[in-house]
Amino acid sequence: MKKYCFTFLIIISSVLFTACCDASGSASESAASPVTHFEPLGNISENNKNIYVILKVMDSSYWQVIMNGCKAAGEDLGCNVYCGGTNNETDWQGQRVLIEEALAAKPDAIILSPDDSIELSSDIDKIHELGIPIALIDTAANTESFDIVYMTDNLYAGQNAAKEMIACLREAGYSDYDDISVGIMVGTAKSQTINERLAGFYLYWANNAPGKWNIISDIMNCNGNIDQGDGMANDFLAAHPDVVGLYATNNGPTRVLASVVKDNGRQDITVVGFDFSDEIRELIESDDFRASTVLQRQYDMGYRAVGSVLDILAGNTPPVRFIDTGVVTVNKESMSQPEVMEVMDMNQE
Amino acid sequence: MDNSKGKRFKDDINLLKGGRFFYLTLIICLVVFFGAIGILITAFNRLISRHDQQLSAEISTIMAEKMNSSIEFMTESINSTAILLSSRNYDNPGQIYDILKNNKNADYLSAGFIDQSGEKFASDEEASEFAKWDLLQTAALANPVSISAPYRSSVYGQPVITLFASLNYADTRHGYMFITYKLSELQRIAVTRSLGNDVEIWLMNAESANIIQCAGSDEHSIGSWANAYLSMQDINKEDVPVYSDWLTRIRHLEDNIGISYSVGDTFYSQHCSMISSMPGWYVVVRIPGNALSATMHTFRNYVLYFLAVLLVVVIVLIANMYRLAKRDNEILEALSTYDPLTQVLNRRAFDTAAAKWIARGKDCALIFFDLDYFKQVNDKYGHNIGDSFLTTFSDVLKKNFSENGIISRFGGDEFVVLTDLHSVEEVSALIRKTNSDLSSFKLPGADKKDREFSISFSSGAARFPYDADELPLLKKRADTALYKVKELGRNGYLWYMDLPEKNA
Repeated sequence: MKKYCFTFLIIISSVLFTACCDASGSASESAASPVTHFEPLGNISENNKNIYVILKVMDSSYWQVIMNGCKAAGEDLGCNVYCGGTNNETDWQGQRVLIEEALAAKPDAIILSPDDSIELSSDIDKIHELGIPIALIDTAANTESFDIVYMTDNLYAGQNAAKEMIACLREAGYSDYDDISVGIMVGTAKSQTINERLAGFYLYWANNAPGKWNIISDIMNCNGNIDQGDGMANDFLAAHPDVVGLYATNNGPTRVLASVVKDNGRQDITVVGFDFSDEIRELIESDDFRASTVLQRQYDMGYRAVGSVLDILAGNTPPVRFIDTGVVTVNKESMSQPEVMEVMDMNQE
Repeated sequence: MDNSKGKRFKDDINLLKGGRFFYLTLIICLVVFFGAIGILITAFNRLISRHDQQLSAEISTIMAEKMNSSIEFMTESINSTAILLSSRNYDNPGQIYDILKNNKNADYLSAGFIDQSGEKFASDEEASEFAKWDLLQTAALANPVSISAPYRSSVYGQPVITLFASLNYADTRHGYMFITYKLSELQRIAVTRSLGNDVEIWLMNAESANIIQCAGSDEHSIGSWANAYLSMQDINKEDVPVYSDWLTRIRHLEDNIGISYSVGDTFYSQHCSMISSMPGWYVVVRIPGNALSATMHTFRNYVLYFLAVLLVVVIVLIANMYRLAKRDNEILEALSTYDPLTQVLNRRAFDTAAAKWIARGKDCALIFFDLDYFKQVNDKYGHNIGDSFLTTFSDVLKKNFSENGIISRFGGDEFVVLTDLHSVEEVSALIRKTNSDLSSFKLPGADKKDREFSISFSSGAARFPYDADELPLLKKRADTALYKVKELGRNGYLWYMDLPEKNA
């Protein structure tokens, strides 16, 4: 019995000691989720080039628009487009599986929207070494082996939003000599897209807004939670009753701010957001409110990427490797313009 | 000796209390040991933390100055080129562009020229960036050099910065040469062998609090934008006012400001330094405190592992020493408790055990046994036979009395038994049985005649509490009965209560 007591004491001592020492954590990787395998978009012809498109999230409306762009390009430009993708924006392992599947099918070109800009760089290098043209869409990668990338320059998109905010506030009658403030809500602090839109807004504001026009440094972050954002926005309006403008960096916060401004009847507040939702559309169309939203041209990303890889297959080299597909700003005045209407229509599909 | 009986004697005598004391001492020692280790670790960690905070603040200051100097070097390089080109007084801006474009040794991405009228000598793609990012506005700030805010180059698809330098040509005309570098070029400048990727370096715009990363642990994050007001939400609450004040001071264009704060458990030192050729922009260097002390933590862990091994060795040693000491104690205890020849209690141990026995208050009987003519046996047959004689007798006593009593060799040929007393007759029967058990004893090695010699004994018994209510008197009464038996010719037994003198 006493022998066991000693053994126990020794074990306890060792365990306690081990507990005293630092435990080094190990990084965990997110598990791969099931992928959506390649399916042809439109009719397939044996004589056509085969383009394989790998997307991030197959069941999202944003990515559906990109898919539509790829499909339309396939039909217009006469090539076979196969599309597959992951169901989680971080599932780069799933995309690696799809890349291998695509390579096994001997593709003429690959279009990829990388889930991870670093992890998939080696796969992009491999595709490039095989002499297969590769275009990236929506997101760039940390390698120079791709042929071309189509994406929104979000820093520039954020600047456009700031430009729109300043224009709206001037229209609302505020002069350089008025002390006014605007507030900002972001969907998350972790997304590079959102950070660039925020940085772009701030940069343009710092360089172009009158000195007395101030951005409230207490940035709201709803962390992707609409309900939480709702309460946050109401609290913000209560704490800053004189705020005259609200900027949202992405779809969720835009919906939140549009709803809160409408529900509070704050016609004195201008809302500038991103993406197209019923809430912001209602506000833009209303005669009582002043609102705008910035839309990406994701349809163009898909369509033009297919065109570019066909062009490369034809032996041409793209003059530039980064193409900002640009944005359109939707407001009461612009929403009847054909170009804007076209982008709005695509975003509603 | 039979174990259960031995255990009972041990319990009765309660000679060994050392085990419990040993474990208690060991546990106290371990608690003190771990307490001391805890204090040591805390003190060590505090020391490392203080050291980290001081050192990381100094290193971040030096790094910020180094970065600023490196940027100054870049600006001086372009300025020197501009001065050189100005001194050649080219008539045609196209000539300047050709020289810049065809520089084979250049480590920049691209170069170009803007003439006095604002015409851009650059590729179409590069020229298109000017409108998008208001680069002409930045060029106009060149006195003699200016740097653009970072932007993503459409030609290269990567974050870049463009440097402008004022340049004269055609006698009186004035223009700007420009050179575009990858933002990651700054990382090359920032990298240090000793700190690896632990140092994070940003460019920060004072007015907007926008920051763009130039170097850091995550290669992917280079060129990524963030905003300090938003990042402030990650900082531990108690440090937010200090951080907010730091941002305000930057907004007021103060130079060389350091700050310390924590994000979760990580302590950071951060320092900013104004970039003179990039108005409104700062180099910000951040170092996590633990980057400096990783080696110290490893050393601390080695010390702890060493102490753990030492502790285990010490415990094993103590355990072995305890085991040996315990064994010696048991031997000594046996020697001090038991008669070595007969393995029954010695007199001292009997007195202790009997006192406890009596203290229970139950009826019992104390019996003195004295072997008859033992001295003659010893003298005639020698001590070996005598010893055998004694051993046999004690074995018989054990057989008959050990179940409900304790047995002792009181000295020489005298034994004493203390046993439960349910009835006098029952104890008397046991005495008689002892006598009959001994009748078959034969002296080993004796002549045939002598071998017929049988052992006999005399015994006197007294009852507790009837004859005496304390041990010394009880012994005396039993002894009195024994002597009476001897007087009567030995080989018999008597109870004290039956003595005629007592009755008289």
